Amino acid sequence: MGILERATQAAESAELYEELRNTVDVTFRGGEIEKVGSREILGRALRVIADGRLGFASTAGEDEEGLLQAALASARHGDPAPFKFPKLSPGEKVEVLDEEVLGISPDELISWGEEAVQAIREEFPDVIVDASLSRGTLKVRITNTSGGELTEERSHLSMGIEAQWIREGDIYLLWVGRTVRRRVDLVPEELIAETLKYLRWGEHVVPAPQGKPPVLFTPKGTVVLFLPLMVGFSGLSVVMGTSPLKGRIGEQAFDQKFTLVDEGRLPYGPSSRSFDDEGVPTSRLPLAEEGVVKNFFFDLRAAALADADPTGSGIRGGMLGGGGFRTPPSPSMRNIVIKPGQGSLDELIAEMGDGIVVVDVLGLGQGNVQSGAFSNNVGVGFVVKDGKVKGRLKNTMIAGNVYQVLKDGLVAIGGEPEWVYGLAHVPPILVEGVSVVSR
Amino acid sequence: MEAELHEALRRCPADYAEVRWEELERSRVAFQRDQLMTLERSREAGGIVRALVGGAWGIAVFTDPDEISRKLSEATQLARAATRKVRDPIRLAEVAPVQDRYLPELGVDFREVPLEEKRKLAEAYNRLILNFAPEIISSSVRYTDALRHVIYANTEGTYLEQAIPDVTVLLLAVARRNGDIQQAFESIGEAGGYEIAQNLEERAEAAARRAVDLLSAKPVKGGRYTVVLDQELAGVFIHEAFGHICEADFLLKNEPMRKVMQLGRRFGVEQLNVVEDGYIPGRRGNAPYDDEGVPRRKVYLIKEGVLSGLMHSRATAAKTGMEPTGNARAVSWEHEPIVRMRNTYIEPGEASFEELISGIDHGIYARGAFGGQTEFEQFTFSAAYAYEIKGGELGEMLRDVVLTGNVFDTLRNIEAIGNDFQLKGGAGGCGKGGQAPLPVTDGAPHVRVRDVIIGGR
Repeated sequence: MGILERATQAAESAELYEELRNTVDVTFRGGEIEKVGSREILGRALRVIADGRLGFASTAGEDEEGLLQAALASARHGDPAPFKFPKLSPGEKVEVLDEEVLGISPDELISWGEEAVQAIREEFPDVIVDASLSRGTLKVRITNTSGGELTEERSHLSMGIEAQWIREGDIYLLWVGRTVRRRVDLVPEELIAETLKYLRWGEHVVPAPQGKPPVLFTPKGTVVLFLPLMVGFSGLSVVMGTSPLKGRIGEQAFDQKFTLVDEGRLPYGPSSRSFDDEGVPTSRLPLAEEGVVKNFFFDLRAAALADADPTGSGIRGGMLGGGGFRTPPSPSMRNIVIKPGQGSLDELIAEMGDGIVVVDVLGLGQGNVQSGAFSNNVGVGFVVKDGKVKGRLKNTMIAGNVYQVLKDGLVAIGGEPEWVYGLAHVPPILVEGVSVVSR
Repeated sequence: MEAELHEALRRCPADYAEVRWEELERSRVAFQRDQLMTLERSREAGGIVRALVGGAWGIAVFTDPDEISRKLSEATQLARAATRKVRDPIRLAEVAPVQDRYLPELGVDFREVPLEEKRKLAEAYNRLILNFAPEIISSSVRYTDALRHVIYANTEGTYLEQAIPDVTVLLLAVARRNGDIQQAFESIGEAGGYEIAQNLEERAEAAARRAVDLLSAKPVKGGRYTVVLDQELAGVFIHEAFGHICEADFLLKNEPMRKVMQLGRRFGVEQLNVVEDGYIPGRRGNAPYDDEGVPRRKVYLIKEGVLSGLMHSRATAAKTGMEPTGNARAVSWEHEPIVRMRNTYIEPGEASFEELISGIDHGIYARGAFGGQTEFEQFTFSAAYAYEIKGGELGEMLRDVVLTGNVFDTLRNIEAIGNDFQLKGGAGGCGKGGQAPLPVTDGAPHVRVRDVIIGGR
């Protein structure tokens, strides 16, 4: 007898989530291969509704009986379930599996890492290069007692390069990386070129302009701006009353140039999937269109509490993907897409006159994220004078509030979006009203 | 399992190999405002093998205990793929093989406490927060307990069984007035029994009171200040800003940084002593041996202002000709051990709190920590809240205080060290190399630092 069937002897309904994670990864340290690893991890989570109460349990490995008893025990002391498990219907599939990724051997991953090490060392012999490469699949299966079964196999391929340039009195640390679903979307040469460009720009340290100069966030740097929005547009934050966007649907909360879409179904998008971790079909969900708040994103629970429809945003493992099967679903964005405007990064730099470029910050997510406040040490950033990059900045903090900056301080959105952090497709963004303080 | 592990290892052709199999028993209760988000008591098990061949590691992670032998072969194969490329092979410092079992005392064994009682405890704290004041609009209360049972064996004959308990409570309040939202929290974490989570009513109210107070606090003005750090924030500073660069794994193939981190080099005033303590029973994540089966030692990172030790795994110790310190830790069976901290602290000095703030004309008293991050010499960390210091006295409450700087400058700028030492394990943990949250403990007395950059609008 299957675990769902056994569950229904003591519960009205039940849902089983299973994931099998298979990865191969290689790690270079100091320009040299250090380790090759494989992971084969089976994780499962069971939710039950018994006497109207919701129970949850998770486990790694095979222990079915333990999982069932743990979920039933949780339900006995749980709260009334605000939602029912949806009927699962396959619907239209999103392309998320590239068979070619499965065939990539450890040797091939190693050769990409070597290529990066060699290319960087050739121009910068003193730079220490660490690199990590990983390929794999995640097989997900969801079944519940409302009927139906959903399965999907998703591939992923990632490469990261970390360059350390250490000189007396100065350490320059740079990280460039990409996560994709398709082999053709990972071009090691692009990552190498990006690394080299920022190393060249960063050779000399120069003083940063103080006060409130224009600040240009590169695609990677825009995480400073979109991280608070991942919280603010969450249906759960709205239900809990902690989102500054609560009750503001239809309101011009951002600059007209700003359009933000939660894209669940982009073919081969790194966070795309046909259905969320509760079996709800994903969607293309505009959150802000031309600055007007349009939608929030919901999992089953938040949707039930807000009397809204679930948007296929119930993700296990939370905002930044940790935890996986061990964590009950919560509302989370799929692919974060900011509508591009015009102009490359270099063109925006030429137009901005004097200011700074922010590529990477320290202390992301620290502080009062819910309110939109950010205050970060610039990890990798550059000084621009007369439209030209003059060098790297150091010991500099940026601070502001995302909701203010994207409403009153949005100068331009660039035209060449890039995938960053395996979850966002974003162009460079030029803003003003951010305070810059250096020592 | 012991005989099975020894047999599997005996047949493994790698130069060196090890197996770690872990069984975890845990409970979680999480409330967010009026919603019970998680109520769970469950178990999980999984394992990892590591094989060293020709100076490169092969690793395999798995959840099926019948696969140990096959995974050892797989890890050996993976290591061979890398071996051909290795020019500077990894070696392991010698350690004496040990056979040992460690079961800590739990006080009230949380495994015996019904899930219902844990729910009631968390719910009561949650209610205290929500009912504290009309400004409180939301809350997050989380209770966790876990017993991590670790079985470890390697090809040198070491066999260990260790059980590591962990109990944490997070009490977070969110307050709102007009458009302004502020939050405050108290966080508790110890390696002990259920008693650690009990009787925290005052802490819950303190979090709620502070969230409301922060609504009236002034945002700090960015600039350069003399700052007095409280014990918690000074502990986070020494962990984040200095501790991480004393982890020898990043020096392993990094010649320039090894020059910077030369033992004997002066980093701070004579009164500055920084300790990495291996094993303090009752503190988070503590056990007698690390995840390479090495006894955990106490190390002075800074003694009388001078760099005097680093944290090592067996590989970093061999590379640098030092003794392994027992700092190789893994966050779970899903990961291999890497060099991590355990209990990191600044030893107490002689100044009273009054002496620390007196003489500061215009400064900041920064308290509690929202978190911190470091990139080698650059660090940043957020105070949970702060006060102005004016004319040597505490003034108004401040918020949005984020401190940043260069760790070497900042260590040199430590002017005075307090006599009121405290160790603290929070509910969060440390993150490194994709492994988080690792239970750690930090500590310090109050510390005064000049020329700290504070970000602000």
